[in-house]
Amino acid sequence: MKRLASSVSAVIAVCIGGSLWAAEPANYPAPRAPEKIYAQTCGYCHGVNVGPVIRGRELPPEVTKAFVRMGPNAMPAFRETEISNEELDALATWLQQSEADPKERGQ
Amino acid sequence: MSGINRRTLLGAAGAIGATAGAAALVNSRMAKGQTVADVNAFMKEMQSIVGEEWAYWDPEGLLPYDKAYVPEPTDQLHPVGAVAPRTVEEVQAIVAAANRFRQPIWPISTGKNMGYGTAVPATPGQVVLDLKRMNRILEVDPDLGTCLVEPGVTYQQLKDYLEENNIPLWIDVPTVGPIASPMGNTLDRGVGYTPYGEHFLFQCGMEVVLPDGQLMRTGMGSIKGSTAWQSFKWGYGPYVDGLFTQSNYGIVTKLGMWLMPEPPAYKPFMIRHPNMEDVPAIIEAMRPLRVSNLIANCNLMMSASYQLSMFKRRDSVVPDGAPLDDASVKRAAKANGLGMWNTYFALYGTDETVAAIEPVVRQVLTASGGEVLTEAEMGDNPWFHHHATLMKGGLNLDEIGMIRWRGSGGGLAWFAPVAAAKGDEAERQTRLARQILDKYGFDYTAAFAIGWRDLHHIIALLFDRSNAEEHRRADTCYREMVSRFGEQGWASYRTGVNTMDLVAQQYGAVNREFNAKIKQALDPNHIIAPGKSGIA
Ligand SMILES: Cc1cc2nc3c(=O)[nH]c(=O)nc-3n(C[C@H](O)[C@H](O)[C@H](O)COP(=O)(O)OP(=O)(O)OC[C@H]3O[C@@H](n4cnc5c(N)ncnc54)[C@H](O)[C@@H]3O)c2cc1C
Ligand code: HEC
Repeated sequence: MKRLASSVSAVIAVCIGGSLWAAEPANYPAPRAPEKIYAQTCGYCHGVNVGPVIRGRELPPEVTKAFVRMGPNAMPAFRETEISNEELDALATWLQQSEADPKERGQ
Repeated sequence: MSGINRRTLLGAAGAIGATAGAAALVNSRMAKGQTVADVNAFMKEMQSIVGEEWAYWDPEGLLPYDKAYVPEPTDQLHPVGAVAPRTVEEVQAIVAAANRFRQPIWPISTGKNMGYGTAVPATPGQVVLDLKRMNRILEVDPDLGTCLVEPGVTYQQLKDYLEENNIPLWIDVPTVGPIASPMGNTLDRGVGYTPYGEHFLFQCGMEVVLPDGQLMRTGMGSIKGSTAWQSFKWGYGPYVDGLFTQSNYGIVTKLGMWLMPEPPAYKPFMIRHPNMEDVPAIIEAMRPLRVSNLIANCNLMMSASYQLSMFKRRDSVVPDGAPLDDASVKRAAKANGLGMWNTYFALYGTDETVAAIEPVVRQVLTASGGEVLTEAEMGDNPWFHHHATLMKGGLNLDEIGMIRWRGSGGGLAWFAPVAAAKGDEAERQTRLARQILDKYGFDYTAAFAIGWRDLHHIIALLFDRSNAEEHRRADTCYREMVSRFGEQGWASYRTGVNTMDLVAQQYGAVNREFNAKIKQALDPNHIIAPGKSGIA
């Protein structure tokens, strides 16, 4: 019972620290770096068996951009409102120049 | 060019080629009576509201709005344009223009309604209202465990925000969290897998742009100075939030939600049952544990074939063209540490509460004929890992692998009939589903989401969309499932844009008329999402 009380109060203590967390002024997120977009979108599928490995293959940027906007077959399409043209240009170039990651697998 | 194979080039050529070919399609996408000039005039007006770069009606710009996984062999459903506002005022201006031009608009938040239509509208001739750019997290209250978000906020964004600010609250995700949104998912009454998994139950307060352009806040939100908008769901008088889910009565621009405090202890479990016939025993064992809330999260009871489809390809289990027989599935499942049914749940609380509940749960579930397994036995088994991640609101897209189970053509339609949480009902549904799927040569890749007192029977109709014959067959099969389940008193909790009318029919004429009357009263020009849930 003592541990129960102390675990609960630990949670409560952490929460109180924040008090009312109003994200003011709430800003729109800034453009994201290619690594971040890869990690938070592409990399959930590519390199983990959902999609083919796409790093370290010198994929031409035009190919990457066409796949991202169209979403062929099982791949979802991504709109400009999700990945801006500016972000996609940088991502496609980064991907072309990227090294293969030996931990990734794909089919 | 060394690393590029023939398939990639073919795919890219297809992708680029489609852009050119699409020009011819524009006319065939129009609604009856709508002309190219009508669309041009409306879209020019949209440019003046949101800026030139955020209105699309050229074939290339529309491509990502046109992606679909659902069967739609008649090829009628395509948007004619898309517009992406950034503020509520812009949304109001768009709604005013839509009324003036009599141009229907189809709101999406993140537009990743995959297997239900993605961003594609339910009738031809609509302009997609893409709210993804409205992506601010407006407030998180760590004491109350509440938040207020705009439509374009993804689960990934919310989770990052909580982590970056050390706020010990969890999110609850559908299986496709990274690219989907709390707003879109909740408004379509989607589900996730922590104790906050029935998303609409944990929604609290909305801001809505009504079809006449007025801005309404529900619950306590319209009380000046109220601090309880995200804490008290009901407000005063009729409770209206439900009217804005699975409907076309308004455009939701802010959504309040409850977030679960991170529990000190979290312990995921898997129960492995050996036979297809174990369905009723599992449901009967789970029900009392769920109804009493001893098990508090929404459980996934996954068939072996559904599980295999996530990480394997069909031709690694049976040869191409052969039926997916139980013996082969069982063999493949066993080789991967899986049973014919694999039910995942977790205990949340403190070490003491978990230790107190675990023996009760173990006893009930072992008596049902299942092996009760934890991380100690399952280790880094990818399926166990996947579900253990989901049940604490973690992010991945692993399940999308299932769309490549059967050919690479990318076809998926969810058929999701509801039942009461009774073993015999689940068994009868399983039998009927398998009978119909067998008849059309498709696989029973299905799961039961075990809710508090209900079952969502989640049947993934997986097909090769690039094969025209198979595409047509999937469509016929889906429709037969809807009607034959309907005859037994079972209807879907949600459906794709291709079958919204058909599912609405199952719910009967009085309900349809009631929905139609509300629509007529609120949106006499029928400009918001005609066809959504079968409401014109
Ligand atoms: C492999 C796989 C697994 C999946 N697992 C799950 C799961 O576990 N649980 C689940 O629920 N779903 C699941 N889905 C289905 C779907 O992908 C998710 O539900 C997803 O969250 C919906 O997309 P979204 O969040 O982008 O919503 P959106 O597509 O943005 O919205 C969905 C619909 O809600 C309405 N809508 C959206 N925003 C507004 C608004 N602001 N105002 C008015 N109406 C609006 C529109 O009708 C829209 O079409 C899965 C799909 C796949 C492919
Ligand atoms: C939900 C899973 C998923 C996500 C997320 C995803 N992809 Fe894909 N991608 C796929 C699948 C599946 C294919 C194979 C498509 C096919 O069969 O043609 C693919 C194919 C590709 C290809 C062609 C590779 C080849 O060898 O044929 C490229 C390039 C690509 N994706 C880039 C991206 C980029 C860049 C992102 C991130 C912005 C991304 N993908 C996000 C699933 C995904």
